[in-house]
Amino acid sequence: MFNKVKYFIEQSWLLLVTSFLFGLLIAVADAAWSAKVEQNKAEKLRGLMASLISDANSFEIAIPAAQIPSDKGPVKTDIYKAFDAQGKCIGFAFIVVGTGFADKIELVVAVDARCEKLFGFNVLSSNETPGFGDKMKNASFSSQFKGAPAGKLSLIKIGDSGKIDDEIVAISGATVTSTAVINIFNRSVISVKKQLQEKGLLTNNGG
Amino acid sequence: MADENPVKVNYLDALTAGLWRENPTFRLLIGMCPPLAVTTAVKPALTMGLSVIFVLVCSNIAISLMRKLLKPHLRIIMFTLSIAAFVTICDLYLRAFAPLMSEILGAYVPLIIVNCIIIFRAEACASKNNVWFSILDGIGSGTGFTIALCIIAGIREILASGTFAGIAVMPRGFVPWAAMQMPVGAFVLLGLLLGLSSLLTAKRTN
Repeated sequence: MFNKVKYFIEQSWLLLVTSFLFGLLIAVADAAWSAKVEQNKAEKLRGLMASLISDANSFEIAIPAAQIPSDKGPVKTDIYKAFDAQGKCIGFAFIVVGTGFADKIELVVAVDARCEKLFGFNVLSSNETPGFGDKMKNASFSSQFKGAPAGKLSLIKIGDSGKIDDEIVAISGATVTSTAVINIFNRSVISVKKQLQEKGLLTNNGG
Repeated sequence: MADENPVKVNYLDALTAGLWRENPTFRLLIGMCPPLAVTTAVKPALTMGLSVIFVLVCSNIAISLMRKLLKPHLRIIMFTLSIAAFVTICDLYLRAFAPLMSEILGAYVPLIIVNCIIIFRAEACASKNNVWFSILDGIGSGTGFTIALCIIAGIREILASGTFAGIAVMPRGFVPWAAMQMPVGAFVLLGLLLGLSSLLTAKRTN
């Protein structure tokens, strides 16, 4: 028994010692930089929300860890409330996910204070085909959502993309991506509206 | 330390071998994942290259320091452990101080752990040579890899977006080749460059 333990220690002491040292090194690096990593994430989200709600001056979490439906089941995300310089609520923003053509698509979606009209979306992360699905970031597609009703949207292949209504003209050559974006909106917006109504956030502060 | 290098080692050779004669991408064809995957633009390619240099030099130092304690059957696990530790540190650093690059490179930074070049240099060089030699070897191989990445990324970025490191270089009216941004562009271009490098080497040896 003793010999076995001795053999084990002899064989593995270097592995044990270096594992401990490297673990310590990583812990130190993580302690030093993790605050900065969190700050970067928060800043990025804030920047994306602010670019959607142009008059927004500050944001605060309205509903923490709200359940928003996605194609892979409900996802927990914070619903943010946007205030203008006078402190009046001017809209809501939240992160939603869905499955795209190549990978999952994460969008930041913003709606107005009554949750009646969309402010549009920004892409938080995606891996769609360059030159095709990637065009969802272009204004020609994304601007169709600015001012569109916050209800059920439908996808059409041919139409006037300049007209703001519940019909969204698909990106040519990227039907899967266009459908994915529409589905993300259709699944999430109505659910968010319902949750905001239930919490009384729309009638009290939004009106 | 006197008996450490019975054969006189050429330090200059350690530094320059990786640049062309033993260039990981064009001559040895190892670690071929990043040259295909992260070369759509110059900036991410350069970030990737610098990350690999950092990991390569650090792991070479660590392995060279412990080379006399390594047991043959445990050496691969020691290499992987050292590499994984430095890759994790590098990934944390990028996420903290270069969030945009970290986002573009995505999973490819953690994937440096399985990059052939690093484990190959650990096995072929660092586990047999002193620290200084291993450092130079790491810098040489890493720089050769970075240059290769930047050449591929430069050509792809110019043809796919008409820019070089984000600066417009192509004349007005240039139609971007979307194909160059996609995997097919990487494969075709890499094939052509490998052909060119073989042609150059063949001429030199003749």
